[in-house]
Amino acid sequence: MNRALPEMSHCLNGPGKCTDMTVLERQRARVRWQQSYLGGSDFGGVFLETSQADQVGNFQDLVVGGSSCSVLDDVGTHSVKPDPGLENGWLELGRLELPNMGFGSGGSMNGSPTGLEMNSSISKTSSCPPTEAQSAPEAKDKVSVPAEKMSSAAGRDSSKKRKADKMQNTKVFAEDDAKYKRSKACAEEGESKITTEQARIKNNTSTPTTNNRETSADSSKENSKASEVQKPDYIHVRARRGQATDSHSLAERVRREKISERMKYLQDLVPGCNKITGKAGMLDEIINYVQSLQRQVEFLSMKLAAVNPRLDFNIDDLFAKETVPACSADFPTIGMSSEMTNPAYLQFNPVQQVAACCGFEMGLNSPDMALRRTLSTPVSLPEPYLDASCFTQLQPPPTWDADLQNLLNLEFHQERSISFPYQPFTGSIEASNLKMEI
Amino acid sequence: MHHSVSCLSYTWSFSRSSDGPTEPRMRNPSLIKEEFLKRWIIALRRCTSLKKNMNILERNKVVKLSADLAMASARNGTTSWSRALIANATRDNDNRILAEQILGPESEILVKRVSTMPFKTCNRRKIRSKRILKRSCSSAIRRVRKTVPRKVLANCIAKRLIQKRTHILKSLVPGGEFMDETTLMEETLDYIAYLRVQVDVMRSCTYC
Repeated sequence: MNRALPEMSHCLNGPGKCTDMTVLERQRARVRWQQSYLGGSDFGGVFLETSQADQVGNFQDLVVGGSSCSVLDDVGTHSVKPDPGLENGWLELGRLELPNMGFGSGGSMNGSPTGLEMNSSISKTSSCPPTEAQSAPEAKDKVSVPAEKMSSAAGRDSSKKRKADKMQNTKVFAEDDAKYKRSKACAEEGESKITTEQARIKNNTSTPTTNNRETSADSSKENSKASEVQKPDYIHVRARRGQATDSHSLAERVRREKISERMKYLQDLVPGCNKITGKAGMLDEIINYVQSLQRQVEFLSMKLAAVNPRLDFNIDDLFAKETVPACSADFPTIGMSSEMTNPAYLQFNPVQQVAACCGFEMGLNSPDMALRRTLSTPVSLPEPYLDASCFTQLQPPPTWDADLQNLLNLEFHQERSISFPYQPFTGSIEASNLKMEI
Repeated sequence: MHHSVSCLSYTWSFSRSSDGPTEPRMRNPSLIKEEFLKRWIIALRRCTSLKKNMNILERNKVVKLSADLAMASARNGTTSWSRALIANATRDNDNRILAEQILGPESEILVKRVSTMPFKTCNRRKIRSKRILKRSCSSAIRRVRKTVPRKVLANCIAKRLIQKRTHILKSLVPGGEFMDETTLMEETLDYIAYLRVQVDVMRSCTYC
């Protein structure tokens, strides 16, 4: 403890580069140590990947990071067992500062809404690294510098506050800590490493009562059997196994929070998921939905393949689909909307064109070219003319429907068949009839 | 399926690959639809220009492949499932030529980007680390079974269920085998949106 204090003051007084370098070195050593401990968990690989430059960038901002590292150095050597109260205090302090480090390389924050969501959705828990799992996917993201600065500033402010209270109940600290960290909702490798180490420190502290309190806090808050398992274990077994499961469960908790957040979005997307609350049920619904969608795609593609011998679709299909039902529904209002002008226009030219083409019944170029021209300039036709022609031509609505559909299809076929060998009209008319029946 | 496109009006934006032109992935469903339709029709045209008379199975395959590749290229490599789709499509040689034709002139760029994505290397490490984690977890679970309180047992069962279902989901989403759960969830979201767009567009095409 005495060793810790002067170092702490030194660190606090001056964010000199020397401390940063030593911190960095310690960090690296800790990486190696931790990897050997945790046996290369998910995060280990990611940790290696994040650049060292990011770490330096982190540590330069932080003052107290040095302090936490100095405290942890004791752990690393296993030599000193500082007073648990003070240690917990410093630990909390250190842990508090960790969110700052999180923003260095951890990548962009999820944005305040999601952060707040997490905050609200998380009940008070004992300290956990906020998003170890997040660090995995986000470790490669770009740094969001403004977020980092803001968070580090906020962190420092709260650190001053916390320093005053450091001797108080560790439980309260733990909870507030976790909440604070969660609200930042970002993690970085150093942060998670250091917090796992601190978790280990927690485990290592000599007084079993404190430990039990903390782990009972863990278990009661976490609702996971892993943490409940820890209690018996971790009285008997020394830190290692407890540490592994502890950090793992902590990381799991964070990961779970992320997953539940995603699940909420999925609930909106998948129909009928509003009533289901459990993760397993949700997953079940999602699986069913994805399977049903995939089957539908299969079926529809098969249908499309069967219906169209030439696989010719038209981008106008989409518009036609939107408007054809409307066409058949309200003929009198055909000229009104702009979407109507397209098919309405198309309705009439085929009439004339078909007549003309049937008359010709020869080489494809001229009718197709004529069609193309007419199709490509649908909107150039002035509206009143269109309306007038619509109405005059559309007087016998009921008998017109089927013919209309035929002509539409016919016209589409014609347009498409430009690139293909020309087919006689009768053939395509039959095809379109077939289509209609389907 | 009338829980329709209107429900796609969510505005989630995960910060994962957040910046720039790739970002607003899910802002506007009709935009997505239009883009998909455009690309799909272009892809289909390319296919049919290659080979005029295909039998129905070939056509089916072509339709699906072109749709998949169209959407995947629309995503432009931002999402993992799209990369996996493209990777799968270009993997076996008989599909490859077709796929490259479908993708068109930008195919080389796309394929290169897909292949250079840190896709496989992460996986090996993750798989190995996951095995180690599983071993450590299973030892914890074994210890639990000795004490067996009811709540813990129920938790155990629930976890098994979730694991099984996650595994199934991973097999459904393309490229999902190698993802961790959070990524899997995001990818599933995206994939579901894509499937819905595809179904809508195809359905409208068949009813023309």
